[in-house]
Amino acid sequence: MTYRVVHYINQFFAGIGGEEKADYLPELREGVVGPGMALNAAFKGEAEIVATVVCGDTYFASNMEEATKTILDMVKKSNADAFIAGPAFNAGRYGTACGAICSAVSKELGVPVVSAMYPENPGVEMYRKNLFIVEAADSARGMGKAVPAMAALLLKQLKGEKIGLPTEEGYIERGVRINKFYEKLAAERAVDMFVAKMQGKPFTTEYAMPVFDRVAPNPAIKDLKNATVAIVTSGGICPKGNPDHIEASSASKYGEYDITGVDDLTAEAYCTAHGGYDATYADQDADRVLPVDVLREMEKAGVFKKLHNKFYTTVGNGTAVASAKRFGAEIAEKLKKDGVDAVILTST
Amino acid sequence: MQNQQRVKDAAEKYGAENVVVILGSSDAEGAEIYAETVTNGDPTFAGPLAGVPLGLAVYHVFEQEIRDEADEAAWEDQISMMEMVLDPEALSAAVKSMREEFSKYTL
Repeated sequence: MTYRVVHYINQFFAGIGGEEKADYLPELREGVVGPGMALNAAFKGEAEIVATVVCGDTYFASNMEEATKTILDMVKKSNADAFIAGPAFNAGRYGTACGAICSAVSKELGVPVVSAMYPENPGVEMYRKNLFIVEAADSARGMGKAVPAMAALLLKQLKGEKIGLPTEEGYIERGVRINKFYEKLAAERAVDMFVAKMQGKPFTTEYAMPVFDRVAPNPAIKDLKNATVAIVTSGGICPKGNPDHIEASSASKYGEYDITGVDDLTAEAYCTAHGGYDATYADQDADRVLPVDVLREMEKAGVFKKLHNKFYTTVGNGTAVASAKRFGAEIAEKLKKDGVDAVILTST
Repeated sequence: MQNQQRVKDAAEKYGAENVVVILGSSDAEGAEIYAETVTNGDPTFAGPLAGVPLGLAVYHVFEQEIRDEADEAAWEDQISMMEMVLDPEALSAAVKSMREEFSKYTL
């Protein structure tokens, strides 16, 4: 039999238009549209795209619940055996929509789903645990490579075949760990790996570490004497009682506090919200983490012109990199608007 | 996308054998994609030429065939500067490989 597949694409790949048409309402079309042609060819007759859902990226992002419901109904109506979305490459809202719809279809209808995105697409971080996302290039130039991998992964699921490791199948790690028995003990395997490393031979780790991006520092301040300096911390320093309830770990927010006229962070007025280190010394004297006292002295001595009248604070303890990135971007935006020239970041 | 539609319209109006596409793109990867688009169809499947293999004759403006057709003074005036800045060999090779694989027509 030929499996019935429904395909999801955005307004751009449907040939409707770019950003100016991104508010396009969900629409169900019979048969293939755009990239579906390539998918159909890759299915080699084993599956067929019977319908295509087209939806504008902005419409989906602004009406997630309603759009998801509408699209779910469309997929249901099409009697789909499987669902495929994208590829979204590095288009953020498109990737998020693909991830959200695939997750909903998988959960509500229980049919196999697959999508494809560039690893840095925000949809990956949000949905990679819920579905197979094939690793794609950052632009539509990668269509030729992404499509066969998507088709193969969907067919394997439909036929109930065993899905191999991410590197074998070309999908992005879902963070699933599987137990496996080895003949050799862990210590022996570790030594083997170490020896291979010393000899410059290839080896594969059994526990891949997450990769963090590196941020290159900006050029040094040329005229420190006339600079406004701000302080930002991930050490959790906040007014006593933590009025905004910044979480002790896995923070979901940051605080902004005014220090106009404050020369010293006293134990009566400040504390830390951080739950990842012994708070005793920070609660005794919060300047140990956020050195307002020393910076005020330097300000008076004319080392720099002005200490910015607000500080920003969050808790770095177990906080998701994606959240930290968002806090950082928002704080930087505010500091730039306020004319701050330099920022001192303190941690614990 | 509009350009894809224009190429498609031109091929329909004048006949694919009577249309030559001359590319001026500055990066080889882009030139290759455009050349593929007007010969084998849009590889991104996003535009009007998705799944439409027109097989048109396609050249990069730096290729000898185009140069031979051009007025020498005009070439010197308009193209020679960019020829020094860009990588004409890589650009020509990129377009040529697509033409040899997918074009049904040549000059």
